Amino acid sequence: MKYSLILISLLYMTACAAQEKKAVPEVPVNKAETIAVPNNTTINVTYKDEKKSKMCPAKTQHPMTKQKKDVLSIHEPLIISVVGQGVAPVNTTSPAQAYALAKRAATADAYRLIAEKVKGVSVDGQDLIKNMMVKRSTVRTSVQAMVRNANIVETTFKDGLCEVEMEITLSHSDFAQ
Amino acid sequence: MRSRDGNHSFTLRLCTIIILSSLALNAGEYLISYKYIVKNDVLFNESLDISKSMKKCRGIPAQTLILPANEQNNFVKLISHHRQEFIDYIHQLGLDIRSKDTTTNNQINSTTIITLKTTCFKVDFNDNFVKISHLKQP
Repeated sequence: MKYSLILISLLYMTACAAQEKKAVPEVPVNKAETIAVPNNTTINVTYKDEKKSKMCPAKTQHPMTKQKKDVLSIHEPLIISVVGQGVAPVNTTSPAQAYALAKRAATADAYRLIAEKVKGVSVDGQDLIKNMMVKRSTVRTSVQAMVRNANIVETTFKDGLCEVEMEITLSHSDFAQ
Repeated sequence: MRSRDGNHSFTLRLCTIIILSSLALNAGEYLISYKYIVKNDVLFNESLDISKSMKKCRGIPAQTLILPANEQNNFVKLISHHRQEFIDYIHQLGLDIRSKDTTTNNQINSTTIITLKTTCFKVDFNDNFVKISHLKQP
């Protein structure tokens, strides 16, 4: 009687192990199928294996979920940091004047970068093609915004190039209506 | 019976009126606009226009800048002496930004215009300092 019970339990275990082996999916992920079209052209269609998406749901997350950090939320203010660059004009009377003018240009560049990040850029493109050749290719970008409470964090001036690091803190209340 | 400091309240009122009227006489409202243009990362043009307001401005004093006073109580001269501080203050108020970039056959040409639209400022001249307040529209 004892031996028969042990034998039954061993048989049950081996049966379970065999079932688990069958449950493991096979290696090929995509199935290829050929559809015959009446006018003798063939189209190769590839279907995505549905099993794969069911087995690993973490991999099928939307790519936008990665960018969640850059989205402004109610509880956390968003800090945007940019570095604007400016160059002094050629005909300056002193290095101090060159520095002041370059800094002004760099500040304007930093403001533009902040406006581009916060409000976005409108882009317009135009290509002129004559005799199958591109004669002129033009891309126009424009930004229009009002920026308030932007702070200069750091200014560096080296070899005639001025760099201004600017920061702006955006909170949800700035945009709430 | 009349107390020894019976005229105290009257004197206080008189002094207050004199002080306030003297302050009011030295206060003024100015219209200021500021604009600068940057072309291809080089400063092209900058202008700061100051004019005394011909009529009373409406608004609530918002952000304030305090500068040391000069002898003549001349606002334009004061600003020319403390230009950088004043421009930094203007930047905090908020500026309008317009930028246009044109790329033709891989050659870029950029123009950025930064503007402070004509804004009214209240200026109070005191003995040692000048208080400049931006009048915010209600």
